[in-house]
Amino acid sequence: MIALIIDDEIQIRRLLRLALESRGYTVHEGTTGQLGLQAAVFSKPDVLLLDLGLPDMDGVDVLKRLREWSQVPVLVLSVRDQETAKLAAFDAGADDYVTKPFSTAELMARLTAIQRRHGAGDVANLQAGGVSLDPAHHEATLDGQPLKLTPTEYALLAQLVRHAGRIVTLKQLLRTVWGPQAEQQSHYLRVYVNHLRKKLEGSNLDIRNEPGIGYRLQTRDS
Amino acid sequence: MVMTSNRIHPGENDRPDPDALLAQLQQEDAALKSGKLHIYLGMCPGVGKTYAMLQSARQRAGEGVDVLVGIVETHGRPETAVLLERLPVLPRQKLEHREFTLEEFDIDAVLRQRPQLVLVDELAHTNAPGSRHAKRYQDVLELLEAGIDVLTTLNVQHIESQVDIVQQITGVAVHETVPDSILDRAQEIQLIDLSVEHLLQRLAEGKVYLGERAERAAANFFKQGNLTALRELALRFTASQVDRYLEDIRRARRVSSPWKTNARLLVGVGPSPYAESLVRWTRRAATRLNCPWLVVWVEGSRALSPEEQERLTLSLGLARKLGAEVVSVTGESISEALLQVARERNVSQIVVGKPERANWWRKSLADRLIRGSGDIEVCVIRPLAATRQPNSKKLREPVPASLVTEYSWVLAIVFTIASLCWAMSPLTGYMLVALVFLLAIVLAALRFQTGPVLVMATLSALTWNFFFIPPHYTFDIQKVEDWTMFVLFFIVALSMGNLTSRLRIREIAERRRLRQTDTLLRVTQSAALAVELENGLAEALRTIDGLLQASTALVVREADRSLAKSAHRASSFQPSPKEWGVITWTFNNKQCAGRFTDTLPESAAIWFPLQTATSLMGVLGVRMPYEAQLDFNTRQTIETLALQLALVLEKNHFIQAVKQAEVVAQSEKLHRTLLDSVSHEMKTPLAIIQASLEGMHGLRNPYLAEIGTATRRLQRVVDSLLQMSRLESEILKPNLDWCEVRDVITAARQAVGAQLDAHPLRISLAEDFPLIKVDHSLFAQALANILHNAAIYTPEGSGIDVAGSLEDKCFALSIRDHGPGLPSGTEHRVFEKFYRADGTPPGGTGLGLAIARGFIQAQGGRILARNHPGGGAEFVIELEGVETFAPPESASAPKARSP
Repeated sequence: MIALIIDDEIQIRRLLRLALESRGYTVHEGTTGQLGLQAAVFSKPDVLLLDLGLPDMDGVDVLKRLREWSQVPVLVLSVRDQETAKLAAFDAGADDYVTKPFSTAELMARLTAIQRRHGAGDVANLQAGGVSLDPAHHEATLDGQPLKLTPTEYALLAQLVRHAGRIVTLKQLLRTVWGPQAEQQSHYLRVYVNHLRKKLEGSNLDIRNEPGIGYRLQTRDS
Repeated sequence: MVMTSNRIHPGENDRPDPDALLAQLQQEDAALKSGKLHIYLGMCPGVGKTYAMLQSARQRAGEGVDVLVGIVETHGRPETAVLLERLPVLPRQKLEHREFTLEEFDIDAVLRQRPQLVLVDELAHTNAPGSRHAKRYQDVLELLEAGIDVLTTLNVQHIESQVDIVQQITGVAVHETVPDSILDRAQEIQLIDLSVEHLLQRLAEGKVYLGERAERAAANFFKQGNLTALRELALRFTASQVDRYLEDIRRARRVSSPWKTNARLLVGVGPSPYAESLVRWTRRAATRLNCPWLVVWVEGSRALSPEEQERLTLSLGLARKLGAEVVSVTGESISEALLQVARERNVSQIVVGKPERANWWRKSLADRLIRGSGDIEVCVIRPLAATRQPNSKKLREPVPASLVTEYSWVLAIVFTIASLCWAMSPLTGYMLVALVFLLAIVLAALRFQTGPVLVMATLSALTWNFFFIPPHYTFDIQKVEDWTMFVLFFIVALSMGNLTSRLRIREIAERRRLRQTDTLLRVTQSAALAVELENGLAEALRTIDGLLQASTALVVREADRSLAKSAHRASSFQPSPKEWGVITWTFNNKQCAGRFTDTLPESAAIWFPLQTATSLMGVLGVRMPYEAQLDFNTRQTIETLALQLALVLEKNHFIQAVKQAEVVAQSEKLHRTLLDSVSHEMKTPLAIIQASLEGMHGLRNPYLAEIGTATRRLQRVVDSLLQMSRLESEILKPNLDWCEVRDVITAARQAVGAQLDAHPLRISLAEDFPLIKVDHSLFAQALANILHNAAIYTPEGSGIDVAGSLEDKCFALSIRDHGPGLPSGTEHRVFEKFYRADGTPPGGTGLGLAIARGFIQAQGGRILARNHPGGGAEFVIELEGVETFAPPESASAPKARSP
């Protein structure tokens, strides 16, 4: 597997390289936005770690340019811990966002999560933790037992399961479950998430709230 | 009533028009803010209106309403006086007028006292000179605007639109009137009805008027016939109001069009004394049909005498007051002009007065209208001549000097031509002389006014006859052809002179209009295009000065939406201190005031509010020369100019606002860049240290553990400093969104991390706690700082209780620890920056609680600290007026679209 790091800090690059190589990745590096984009063309990475504060251009712009031709999973790694910065990155097509200073273990878990989705394809990934989905009948089972869900709850859970371990933004959830006109109706979403949480109680699944950004379905042991 | 059917569009659906609904909502909104008006309506004095009003006031006072008797006339009736007892009565203000002292209703005292309900008797009363308003109903309107409820009384003969009917019935001219619009504003009109017999009996018993006055009243006004007719009028009027009220309700349910019918009335008025009556008739008809109406004044070529001008201004003023749209057009033929307006505006009926007498040589206006009207109905009514004469001082215009000169010129010209032709006539013959005279008349008509030209025509004819037609020196004419010639000459001379001077007058009128349009254009251009607004305004004001031959003053609105303290420096006169009262009134009431108006007419200038569709930008004052009048056209011009100025000022205001926003955005951007780079520089090394430590985790080296602890501490300090600096840079904009309180607490807990592990967190929050609208991350950060603080200052193992409550839209979150509590007296100081209690363990920066307070305040909340009576410190975060959303049953939530 090939990972591409775009960051101008040599120490960060070195540390990431150590951590990634110990987990079997082949690592390429880009020190600026321009070089990073070139490296993305040539090295054909399976995952990309992107810093936002690059010397030549803003990381969000790098991401936008990259998304014009590539769907490679991107994890943003930045010192910016503002909601607005995170939202901008997600809107530009980031798959996940980790703030510096970071925990290496968590970073690796997030990397695995965004790659899993990518490798498995969108529709096939219908299982997370103890929950399995049956898209043909719009039914779900939890630990083998049928889970009673309303159509809305099913649609919401399906979105979360498909992106298990990754953040799904509020906008994304509202648009796919309720339709584009509902993008401002986040209170309904929160109510339904609550319903789902109650129904998933006792399982090893947790719907985590990322303040101001969205939700992430996580298995508790990870 | 005949309705036009040809204008109803088929297929119009019955769905409420959103604009109309909005208008109604706004009306209701405005009605909520302004006071409520309750009118006790009677057919004549003595039916018991004041009595009924006082009874109701006492009842309301008994219910605990703050009632004030503004002014009530008891007319010496003892039953009424009894009711006044135990009600607070406002002392009347005393106004000195010449040698009299007049007592008057004191509106300022009421506005100062601000009662909930005020009683103001006799709505149609005319105020004493020197009062703020000319009429009492204007006082009432101002009270209503101020949000004070008003009870008042009114007799039906004082209603503007009913005045001429009353005059027809009783033969008495009514001078004190109230416009119908104030009745439309009333929330309730209560008819106080009494049978005629009963009223006459009361009069005989002296319960209405006392002594001699009673007898006089009985002889004149209180006749059985009069009273019956007035009673009918009052009943009918009330019935029609009830009808309209009902119509309003129906319309609220199903609005199909803003008007009940597609009718639209038009009435043509001129300077005749019948105009007012025509206007009133049309208003009544329009009210019955519930349709809009136009009043059209056709300006012809004839110059109006000052008297006519004033009568016209009065009629048009009345039309405006009664709610008409006033249109003025120019045209030589009144009928054609009226028909043109009628077609352009989709008028369904034209109202016109019946001609006084038939002229065989000339068709009346009504005839001409009927002939040309096509599918428009023409309604011919018989108007009454107005008894009201223009009440302002008559200005007998002296014969202007220019006219005297013109007559002298005319005489001189005739004399000169006569002398010259006398010498030449033996050569040319006398027929040519006639042509020379005609030429002179035509030329003179181009310069002189109608009078001198007509004199010249007559004089020329006579001179020609006397001196040139044989036999000479006599008016005798012998030959038939000379007779014919003389008569033809006379007719040609007169009509030429007349025609030419009419053309000239028309040209002057056109030129005046052109000048007004031109001024308007220049004002707009100079003010709107000027680089410097100040210069543009100065130029605009000078242009207005030039047009009106008057001086102007401009008072603009300041940035904080209050009126400037002094006139704009481009003003050509400075308002006197007395004038400032008028200016303030105009600004506050958004209505024209001062000279030529009914409000504060003693003022030297007339003041117009500079009002655009959305905002009030200031006040424009025009001071005309002392003896000048303000005619309708000029007033309209000033209003248009005022609107233009207002638009220019508004535009400028918007430009300033945009500029300011740009500056703020610039500085925010700069600050953000700085913060970003500083946080990058500090956090990157920390990240490197932390990642390196993690890489060595397997070593379990105690030195490394120390480095780890120190790194975390350093990280917290850096976070605190950055947060503090963001807080102080004021670029913190709360991003409110729906939040689950439990989520916020979880997020805060995660942010504190391992340090909270030794303190069990007990959360008590109702299972169905509603969502609240807050800034999730700011709130979570504030809460994290408080939790961290509690974790540091309390012994390990002691728990922390977090409890949320919601009462009356006030969300409160209490965080209580079980430690030693706050040192007494320091409860307020803990939120200060860098404050640290004595003997506290190291590990805090002294910024955490200050940041927590800042983040909570940024979203409009507050935070306080105290010692819990049961021991330990308690922090309470309060957010008042927070938006909440209680989850509905899942059935009522919007359905997901089918996947």
